Amino acid sequence: MYPRWLWPFSALPGVIWLLILFLLPLYAVLALAFGTVDPILLTGVPAWNPLDWNPGWMSHVLDQLRPGNILWDVWVRTCRYVLISLAGCILIGYPVAYYVARHATRTKTLLLILLVLPFWISYLMRMLAWINLLSPGGYGLRFLDATGISSLLYHVGIISDPNNYLSGQSFTVILALIYGYIPFFILPLYASLDRIDQSQLEAARDLGASPFRTFWHVTLPLSKTGLLGGAVLITLPMFGDYYTTNIVSGAPSTSMIGNQIDLYFHGGPQPTIGAAITVLLALFLMVLMIYYMRTVHRASREIPA
Amino acid sequence: MHPKERRLATTRRDFLLRSGGAALSLSSMSGLLAACGTTTSTTTNSAGGWPTGAGGIPLARPNHPVTLDRWEAPIASGMQPETGGTFTIFNYPEYIDPAVLKAFGKKYGVTVKVTPFDDITTGVTKLASGTVSPDVTEMTPDLLPRAVAGKLVKPLNLDYIPNLKNVWSGFKSPYYDAESRYSVPYTVYSTGIAYRTDRVKEDIPSLKQPWDIFWQAQAYKGKTALLSEVRETIAMALLRKEIKDINTEDPKLVNQAVKNLQELYNICSIKVGDVQYQTVPEDKAWLNQAWSGDMLAAYFYYLPNKETGKLLRFWNPGYGVGPIGNDAWCVCKTTKKPVLAHLFLNYMLDNGVAYGNFVNFNGYQPPLNEIQPETLVSKKVIPENLANSVLTERDFGPKALVEGPLTTAGQSLWQDGYATFQSGA
Amino acid sequence: MSHAVARAPARESEFGRVQRLRGRLGNQWGKPRFLVLITWGYIAWAILPVLVAIQFSFNDGRSLSVWHGFTLKWYTSTDPSIDSVFHSATLHGALVQSLKLATLDVLIAVPIGVFLALGLARWRGRGSGASNFLMLFPLVTPEIVAGVSLLILFSQLLKFVPFGTVAQLLGHITFSISYVVVIVRGRLFQIGPSYEEAAADLGAAPASALYQVLLPLLMPAIVASAAIVFAISIDDFVISQWLSSGANSTTVPVQIYAATRATPLPSTDGIATVIMVITLLSVVAGVLVYRFFTRGESRRGSAVDDVAGFGI
Repeated sequence: MYPRWLWPFSALPGVIWLLILFLLPLYAVLALAFGTVDPILLTGVPAWNPLDWNPGWMSHVLDQLRPGNILWDVWVRTCRYVLISLAGCILIGYPVAYYVARHATRTKTLLLILLVLPFWISYLMRMLAWINLLSPGGYGLRFLDATGISSLLYHVGIISDPNNYLSGQSFTVILALIYGYIPFFILPLYASLDRIDQSQLEAARDLGASPFRTFWHVTLPLSKTGLLGGAVLITLPMFGDYYTTNIVSGAPSTSMIGNQIDLYFHGGPQPTIGAAITVLLALFLMVLMIYYMRTVHRASREIPA
Repeated sequence: MHPKERRLATTRRDFLLRSGGAALSLSSMSGLLAACGTTTSTTTNSAGGWPTGAGGIPLARPNHPVTLDRWEAPIASGMQPETGGTFTIFNYPEYIDPAVLKAFGKKYGVTVKVTPFDDITTGVTKLASGTVSPDVTEMTPDLLPRAVAGKLVKPLNLDYIPNLKNVWSGFKSPYYDAESRYSVPYTVYSTGIAYRTDRVKEDIPSLKQPWDIFWQAQAYKGKTALLSEVRETIAMALLRKEIKDINTEDPKLVNQAVKNLQELYNICSIKVGDVQYQTVPEDKAWLNQAWSGDMLAAYFYYLPNKETGKLLRFWNPGYGVGPIGNDAWCVCKTTKKPVLAHLFLNYMLDNGVAYGNFVNFNGYQPPLNEIQPETLVSKKVIPENLANSVLTERDFGPKALVEGPLTTAGQSLWQDGYATFQSGA
Repeated sequence: MSHAVARAPARESEFGRVQRLRGRLGNQWGKPRFLVLITWGYIAWAILPVLVAIQFSFNDGRSLSVWHGFTLKWYTSTDPSIDSVFHSATLHGALVQSLKLATLDVLIAVPIGVFLALGLARWRGRGSGASNFLMLFPLVTPEIVAGVSLLILFSQLLKFVPFGTVAQLLGHITFSISYVVVIVRGRLFQIGPSYEEAAADLGAAPASALYQVLLPLLMPAIVASAAIVFAISIDDFVISQWLSSGANSTTVPVQIYAATRATPLPSTDGIATVIMVITLLSVVAGVLVYRFFTRGESRRGSAVDDVAGFGI
């Protein structure tokens, strides 16, 4: 009914926009990573022609990424934070999404509104809220002290100083990351759990499966897409996070790979190093992204839409 | 030769070969020498020449002053100032009294705006990339040669700046800019330690090596911080070990200093930032590396209450013991109001204006003859406990320790060291 | 379904106390008390800290953690020593800049995104897969990669683009388009082609099928995506910071960040509260408009479902 050229034509403005303002900048980073530095002004000079590429900076960065060198240590720490935060988000977020999707009948709308609410609250404000709570004399600090959680964490070694959550504590950074990113995890998971047909679960039960086995063999696999989607949606941006740790910690001992990029880009003679680290980070994330897309593509072919 | 230095030296050499910059070859030579890891500092090299930095300009030191070439003719004398529109100042945030700016704007009929930069190196990068186009910019001596070589700042016509006579004699023709061809001084400061007597039990000035307090600050865990500056942090670690050359490009010394800094993570959960003028009076930080003007600014402007003022202290290392420095003003190439820009520089050297900026807001003193620390204390402008935050002309003699310009290889070395410190590894 | 419920009580009496308790707790078909606890616990943990931040914006004192009494001074005071939200040039400027960017972002990104969604959903030819991938990538790009790449682009290549509002706006739009596409596309799949085919059968030309049939049906998704883009733009931090040109292009998140690194004051809480209220009001307005456009449709899915189900 519609002419065939209509749909590509409709997509054209968006595609052109993304090509120029999304894809081209990524190439610019690549060109700078393989570029040079102006010796007078110490600004980066990208090498647009791949034949002019200078591999010196990239090999320098790769060298720093070898185990034992500083970028490796920062990268390992970043991965640690991201994986622990992801685990935290799953442990907290899956039960919540599951309950809201499958059990909350009367309160479902209210719960959904409350779940969506953090989306509308600025990330910075939610981090600021923790500064309110964990500063000396704050409600959060007093609560943790009164319930003994502070001393527990201190004795187990998770915190190095029970009075000071806001400087150099990995615990606070991970807590802030979980707090900041979990709403983005719960909603896709909820959507996927919501779509599961009740009749499939009932079939499992009718066939004699215990609740646990039903969950493990039916619910969980069916929610795999949502789980994976939520995981991708939060881990990929988390790898590049640098401001969360600056806000709730401010110390070098909790710095993430994003902080190193930030350091090399804000003045100094080596923006090419910042670009090289960015390229490597983007490549790593692209691999994850491709893995996700293929899994979803395969999954969407297995389950009828 | 350390493999890392070799790679970097090669890339720069490639670029130089392609651009055929003969004037830059001196800097590449010094870079290679630095890369060869000589144990002596490269402020003198065996070839007999003085090392150079950007654009072939020799590295300036207090005992080796440098005259910068004019890349264009200064503006003509006797012209009228431009009025109307906006006049933009490029500066650290909160580093100049808004009242002073307002008065200037009123006097010449312009709207004065301040565009802040995070730190001076970011600022120069922004100027170079054309991201900002201010009229005047703040500048530090170690970056001035790059700004001049990159033609980011204009040569001055001192006929518009008669107030230059008010400054200390040593600054009329400073070591980094002989004849004041490009800059006039703004503030002078030293780097020391700011602390609160109600929180810090030690008497820091009487310690054998006061910088060592950070390495013994277990009791102040989480309440200590260093400046977020590449040069200041590593220089402090060097001085703690009695290494007086804070412009060294010796990788062994720099890397050892960085290793010492890394010990601080576990000792006192060290943080980094430039906000000690707020955090110390607000009791969020107890022990901070700081500049001499920070506690004065805290006293003038950021005290939560009067009693806190008596608790603030600053340890000032002294002549030839700790780093001193100064900030300066330059006229930007991008200015559309060059005459007015010159008059702004003159305005900031006016005794009354500079004094007001100092005591009402900034806390960083201008190097003017009329401002003497003794009179400030006796007039109760500054409290007795912060009297040592004020510097005198004697602090700036030829033996002074300054963080001067480095070669590009040296800058890379220091930046990598700072990145290592910031990595928390 | 009633069969299963009727059967359950009979089973329970066959087991001992502990087994019954375990059954009740782990019973997927019964009341999941444990899950209720976690869910409401999570909600409390998510919302209460923000309420505390709002509370301390009214604190009569400089502390963010010790309550000294109620005051409005951090919002309304004209005393020059207090940087109040409505009278301080910096804070006020940040508010205006945030709202300006967000509004322009919605006005430009939503149309581009709607057309892109239509195109991607129905385009079957070569290039559609790659375009789809291109559209999805911004959703998961870390903001620092976005900031770095745009910084290099605007300082090295597209040098005619001034830093500040223009650059920030271009950056915001680039990373908002994908959200619009994902939401609108979800709605497109929900609608299906049947309505337009019916219109064609009734003799409508393609243009009026699009305009009079498809567009009204898409309206709820368009409104939802506008609300989302608005919120994303207001919340954006990294791009706004990296592409700013100084004091007059500071946004609220950048301001909050700068304050938290130094000494946050109740006025910082204040400006965060103001921007949050504005965002919530715009969302409520969006929901009302959405409800208006979906009047008469079966309430099978709520607005939240539309939003929540975006493309994943």
